[in-house]
Amino acid sequence: MPFETLLGAWVATGLTLFILTFLYKDNPLFKLAEHLYVGVSVGYTVVKTYDTVLVRLIYMPIAEQGEWSLLIPIGIGILMLARYFPKVAWLSRIAFAFIVGVGSGLAIPRIISSFILKQVEDTVRPLFYAVEGGGVTFTVDLMDPASNLNAVVLLIGVVSVLFYFFFSVEHTGPGRAVARTGILFLMIAFGAAFGYTVMARMSLLIGRLRDLIVFADPQYGRPSLWLLLTTIGLLILWTTRQTERSPDGS
Amino acid sequence: MNFLRRQLPLLITFAMGVVFACQYYVPHPVSELLLTTVTKWLQIIGGFALVLGITSLFHLHAGKIRRKEPGWGYSGVLYASMVGTILVGLGYSFSFQQWILGKETIDGVRTMFGWIYTFMMVPLQGTMFAILAFFIASAAYRSFRARSREAAVLLVAAVIVMLGRVPLGEYLVPISGDATQWIMNVLNASVRRAILIGISLGAIALSIKIIFGIERAYLGGGRE
Amino acid sequence: MTFAERMLRIDRRIIFLLIGLCTLLPLLYPVGLAIKVSPEVRSVYDKIESLPAGSVFLLSMDFDPASKPELYPQAIALLHHAFRKNLRVIAMTLWLPGTGMAAEVISQVADGMGKVSGRDYVFLGWSPGGSSVVINMGQDLYKAFPSEYFRHEPTKDLAVLKGVRNLRDVSYVVSLAAGTTGIETWYVFGKDKYKFELGGGCTGVIAPGLYPLLRSGQINGLIGGLRGAAEYEVLTGLKGQALAGMDAQSATHFAIIVLVILCNTFFLFIQRSRKQADQR
Repeated sequence: MPFETLLGAWVATGLTLFILTFLYKDNPLFKLAEHLYVGVSVGYTVVKTYDTVLVRLIYMPIAEQGEWSLLIPIGIGILMLARYFPKVAWLSRIAFAFIVGVGSGLAIPRIISSFILKQVEDTVRPLFYAVEGGGVTFTVDLMDPASNLNAVVLLIGVVSVLFYFFFSVEHTGPGRAVARTGILFLMIAFGAAFGYTVMARMSLLIGRLRDLIVFADPQYGRPSLWLLLTTIGLLILWTTRQTERSPDGS
Repeated sequence: MNFLRRQLPLLITFAMGVVFACQYYVPHPVSELLLTTVTKWLQIIGGFALVLGITSLFHLHAGKIRRKEPGWGYSGVLYASMVGTILVGLGYSFSFQQWILGKETIDGVRTMFGWIYTFMMVPLQGTMFAILAFFIASAAYRSFRARSREAAVLLVAAVIVMLGRVPLGEYLVPISGDATQWIMNVLNASVRRAILIGISLGAIALSIKIIFGIERAYLGGGRE
Repeated sequence: MTFAERMLRIDRRIIFLLIGLCTLLPLLYPVGLAIKVSPEVRSVYDKIESLPAGSVFLLSMDFDPASKPELYPQAIALLHHAFRKNLRVIAMTLWLPGTGMAAEVISQVADGMGKVSGRDYVFLGWSPGGSSVVINMGQDLYKAFPSEYFRHEPTKDLAVLKGVRNLRDVSYVVSLAAGTTGIETWYVFGKDKYKFELGGGCTGVIAPGLYPLLRSGQINGLIGGLRGAAEYEVLTGLKGQALAGMDAQSATHFAIIVLVILCNTFFLFIQRSRKQADQR
């Protein structure tokens, strides 16, 4: 196994365990790993921004294809950075005005089309289907999201939740019944969201523990085991010192 | 001068907002060219926005180190790891005999920059979020109580979904899988749709307020 | 303090330990229970299955290392499937911190299946701007990404992109998303105007919020979290990381359910004893 992979396994395991020590309590090992994380992430961002923006989006198109018009966004970008120089900080407003103006303009028609019209269109579906030879049918298959019964339930849900949110006056009479229905739907959706969040968080833990299991293999020199013992030892040492410093345990 | 500082930004926002809102409905080649050009510009400007954010962090921790504030050593670690990553990512590699230019691998071989990414950044960020698994379990035990009918409904829905999304749940309570599908596809979808419509209406209202200069918070700092 | 009250105040580190063990033990000693495939995951699979060889498939890996355990297996399974179907693959990311992972997964899967960069696939990398990138790709792919990621070769010269001018020429786009810059961005700023078929994969946290788009047909399918990845692995016959994690997922879900039941039982006891005390 290459030395760099071996070293990587030990470093990755150590840093994983350092972060996990937070489960005991906030401690220097966690803080060290936390600051390393921020530092490396920012460094990575700088490098990627340099490669993508300066090299691939600016230098190459200008140098190889003569796209000199790209000097305009560079100018706008530099105006943004004027924020750091108090005397000319107001210049950054021009850059922000451009970005926010274009962003708002781009967003309005697209959001209306995607999230309002399309969503309303799918909510107001036919309550009955015409069948060949005359007459109508009402499908009740719960497992088919497009069935008529589900279309009715969906419509009730959307209307009652919108009613609950938008009519913030005191809910009385029939309004109360609609609002209560809205709350019921909301609670079910929140429950489902909780269930999915649990699923997601557990998946992340599974991923990290799987890596620790892989690194417990003898071919890596069992870093998971050795570093676990070392980390526990360091935590004990740190706790003992803390207790000595404040004998009342505070 | 007052015009440049106050009115000009509002005028630019208004003009850009109106032009690009209308552009969507005008598929003329000139209008399409305008869209292509300006979205390309936004990509580049987006890069500068990142620089803005990073520089703030740079200043913050440099100040902590200079003033030797409590915990400045950690700021030193942050600074060193940040500078180290940048040097390794943009520097010259003698083993590869070329500039690294932010490449994690060159011809399939991992660079030092790639090593930092794979063995430091990925496990650090991954674990940082993985510990939330423990806290969500603890929170579920301490505060997930059926204090009212509504809370009981929430609890039951959560339990059904947790059962229905794992093989053991589907095996022990076979109906939980179908029940979860129905909850997600119909009940959950209806609520999420109402929320989506509500949020979208809010976003549109905010965009219109920005375009017409009613909402100006984005212009923020800078001396008048 | 009653027994129920004491139980409700136990040290949270005991719960941490329980969750840790419930995750670790099934990973060490897997059982391998069967997994049912949901219609939303099958839709993504069927769409790729229906594409003729040579069709253009775009995979946007819009996530960072924080979501790796959920979305990385999805990326592997989708890329395996696409390469097996001999599709032309365009890979990219809208998330800067995910660039390295996206580069790793595409090159590893491609190498394993004998696919060549530039001929069978291209990795475009990351570009800032989110929605602007999608619009610009819809207008002109070569403006948005003038060069590919690995060797900075001009995208215009790549065989894999022959006949592709913009997103309208892409047969199927799948965004693997860990946040709003992902599936929603690809729909609002992409599919809405450029009319390509769009599918999604996402983390468990954001999955419930995407069901309205699924129901309205704005996305044709949805792979949700590690479970969704496991379902896709079942469909492709690939025994990957997601399937291996399902037993641990089962155990932890049951642990949480037991904790919730216990919490409510103790809560009920406390309520009753308080009522009885009040009556006295």
